Amino acid sequence: MRYLNKSITEIHELLKSKAIKPIDLVEEAFENIENNKEYNAYITLNKEEAIKQAKELESKEVDNLLFGLPIAIKDNIVTKGLLTTCGSHMLDNFIPIYDATVVEKIKANNMIIVGKTNMDQFGMGSSSRTSYFGSPKNPWDKTKIAGGSSGGSATTISCRDVLFALGSDTGGSIRQPSSYTGIVGMKPTYGRISRYGLVAFASSLDQIGPLTKNVYENAVILNALVGKDEKDLTSARKEEEDFTRLIGEDIKGMKIAVPNYLMSDIVSPEIITKIKETIKMLEENGAKVDYVDVKYLDKAMTLYQIIAMGEASSNLARFDGIRYGHSKENPKDIQELYFETRAEGFGEEVKRRIMVGSYLLSGENAKIYYDKALSIRDDMKKEFINVFKNYDLIIGPTTTTTAYNLDDPMDDPLKSFMDDVLVIPANMAGLPGLNLPVGFDKSHMPIGMHIIGNAFEEAKIYKLASFIEKELNLDLNPFGGENNE
Amino acid sequence: MSKYIPTIGVEVHVELKTNTKIFSNSINGYGQMANSLTNVIDLGYPGTLPTLNEEVINLGIKAATILNCKIRKVMHFDRKNYFYPDNPKNYQITQARTPIGYDGYVEIIKENGEKKQIYIEEMHIEEDTCKSAHRGTKTLLDFNRAGVPLIEIVTKPCLTDGEEVKLYLEKLRELLSYGNISDCKIEEGSMRADVNVSIRKNEKDPLGIKAEIKNIGSISNAKLGVEKEIERQEKLYDAGKTFKPQTRRFDDKIGDTVLMRVKETGNDYRYFPEPDIPFVILTDEMIAEVIKTIPMLPDERRKKYQSLGVTEINTNKLVQNKTLSDYFNDLLDTEIDFKTASNLLLGDISAYLNKSEKLITDTKLSKERFIELVNLVSNNTLTSKNLKEILVPIMESDNSIPNIIKENGIENITDDTEIRNIIKRIISDNPESVNDYKNGHDRAIKFLMGQVMKETKGKANPRIAMEILTEELQ
Repeated sequence: MRYLNKSITEIHELLKSKAIKPIDLVEEAFENIENNKEYNAYITLNKEEAIKQAKELESKEVDNLLFGLPIAIKDNIVTKGLLTTCGSHMLDNFIPIYDATVVEKIKANNMIIVGKTNMDQFGMGSSSRTSYFGSPKNPWDKTKIAGGSSGGSATTISCRDVLFALGSDTGGSIRQPSSYTGIVGMKPTYGRISRYGLVAFASSLDQIGPLTKNVYENAVILNALVGKDEKDLTSARKEEEDFTRLIGEDIKGMKIAVPNYLMSDIVSPEIITKIKETIKMLEENGAKVDYVDVKYLDKAMTLYQIIAMGEASSNLARFDGIRYGHSKENPKDIQELYFETRAEGFGEEVKRRIMVGSYLLSGENAKIYYDKALSIRDDMKKEFINVFKNYDLIIGPTTTTTAYNLDDPMDDPLKSFMDDVLVIPANMAGLPGLNLPVGFDKSHMPIGMHIIGNAFEEAKIYKLASFIEKELNLDLNPFGGENNE
Repeated sequence: MSKYIPTIGVEVHVELKTNTKIFSNSINGYGQMANSLTNVIDLGYPGTLPTLNEEVINLGIKAATILNCKIRKVMHFDRKNYFYPDNPKNYQITQARTPIGYDGYVEIIKENGEKKQIYIEEMHIEEDTCKSAHRGTKTLLDFNRAGVPLIEIVTKPCLTDGEEVKLYLEKLRELLSYGNISDCKIEEGSMRADVNVSIRKNEKDPLGIKAEIKNIGSISNAKLGVEKEIERQEKLYDAGKTFKPQTRRFDDKIGDTVLMRVKETGNDYRYFPEPDIPFVILTDEMIAEVIKTIPMLPDERRKKYQSLGVTEINTNKLVQNKTLSDYFNDLLDTEIDFKTASNLLLGDISAYLNKSEKLITDTKLSKERFIELVNLVSNNTLTSKNLKEILVPIMESDNSIPNIIKENGIENITDDTEIRNIIKRIISDNPESVNDYKNGHDRAIKFLMGQVMKETKGKANPRIAMEILTEELQ
């Protein structure tokens, strides 16, 4: 009997009525993971501990919608006692001694962690091919990439191994793989979810978020992840809200902006067509959609490279072989310990970004590049604020193409950034953004729509997304036969 | 006169007296077992983030106020990036661009009485590094100090000799310890000074080549180090030689500075604003609240004590001992004889405290008990000899002072007739002394008074005894 393909409310009822136990779900999840092993979604499985925890839960009251449900965690979110590699040789022996705040929240809800998902090394990449542990494969076509950097989390959701996965998004790392694998991925507002315990890539951009197969489940788990955390000064204090509360509401009268840049010729015609079809559907249902010019969108990529690499060069300095992680054996002096540890531990893309980042912050460059980037970033934020004065949401495609081949060359460093060109502006402005599958290209690879909301207006995004999801009623199970009712 | 003009700037780091570290809730402590005061944040574990100890900002405001600095109301932290094993994140969180205080000064009074303002360029908040110890080929790291809050105070290059450096450091230590900002113990490393020294021939010349002296273990060594360094540079220039900008350290054993390393040109710390800590914004109200909590500072104390009749010597001695001075300040709202109080504190009580290695706050001498004691002495009920006999129980027991006096059998004889009878007898027994007294020998009355005390076993109230003796001698 399979339960994990049921809706979260159905599973909850079954657990509550004791028709099933958490262990049934955990066993099924590991069976799924085993069957889908070839997609390489996981770096580490937590099987023994998960089974133990599931059994312990049998004596506890089923007190919330997430109780007893299995979840996968991206491998850059620290888990006490469970290997956390960041997809890198640098940390392939690193067993954290503390839990990230999101992990504490997951445990407090009695969810069960099944394992740590594959990813681009330290989140640096957009195809998960920079992982030290091999790339995940796209469940819709295993010769294609799953996207990145949260490629493993997207893959395991797309495979329907588990209901929930956590990812992190610095410049599209949740939304872009969600688009490539046909799932729902949310990057909430910067500050919504505590970053404490997320191994930092670019501190002013990083944000944790959930990946799920549908909109409702995404909103449900977001409820459990958010909140001010005293351990993260950049986390926001906001009144408690239910992110599912607007789901099912009519969209009549909603005002939606479509930035012209996002629909320009940088995007493949097939994707443009699909987005336009969806826009037409929204208009037919009473939404008001305008094409608008949003300044600075075309600068987002450059800003991202400067800010993200600058911050990364500093954030990754702590991996020096002294206190944890990979360490060069018997170095002759401290210089050799530093050089060799980092030469051996980091992959090529990580080293490249550290070098570029160090250059960008070096001497006068900090003023010429980093400070300038921060100031243009402020201008861009203001531009978004202006758009949201007149519109509820901004939409456009999530990616410029659908998932490409795993064996496409990786020698063009700019290509990997171009994969994220449409989603990076939301990181720059700290705004929430969600990928929603809206169809398929001619090779039946998923196409995603990106919905951007104003700061802390995730609920509005879910409202529109769930409406589109229901209207389109796509079969989003790569192995077929999913009934969306 | 030397033919060179020295230019000196001083950078002082002081550790702040907070309960916890600046960016984590680990205890800020000294002398504990290595690495016992650490957590994942202090160790720079992946995924950890800094929090900000508000107490540090408050102490920064206090220090800035005490050092007459302007206070920056919008500030942020910056990362200073460099690799070193004592630097757990391989960046130090500091304030490079927006130091909390700037444009201040401290006034020193030189030996010749001349006053001079030492200008403070800026003072900023930052975290301390961990302590490393070298054992053979190994280096041991103790992270207890990592993340201890520091304030770095940087003067303008406006000092001109070792004496000024010494006076500046002494003044700074006095101000910061009185402000409860730091305990400023140089030997424990809670106050550390680096001094930059250069010399030039004329005021109009550009500044000379700089040598930085580090590792200065005491204020007197700072003076000595500066003097030796000036001498060294003068000799080099006189011999037509020059030197490279360098870092030197003061070597205690030889009493001179030695070369540590030649400065590399352009250290590149790749500073950028710390993205993990939002801007700190201070309001006038917040600043005013903090300033209210600044305790009375040394100069004000000196003025106050002297206005209450305390001698200049005692005033200075009191202010040199912060615990005693704080204790004394607690009495300022009472009406006691402050001169006697200061004599007692700095005399028998200090002797007792030194001998027993105690602080006055660790004894049984509460404020109320001390007031009682001062009154007994100032109205001559207790002689200083009496006091010596009963000081230990006063400092150590819970017994009341009247009881202690009674139990030690030194109840004063204040009964006029009894003392008068004894005095009469002594006068008739010592005609020679009486004669001497009448011939103007003051020493004689002291002798007679001594006889009175001997006869009464010291129990006579000295004030009354003297009155009667003088009367009877007329």
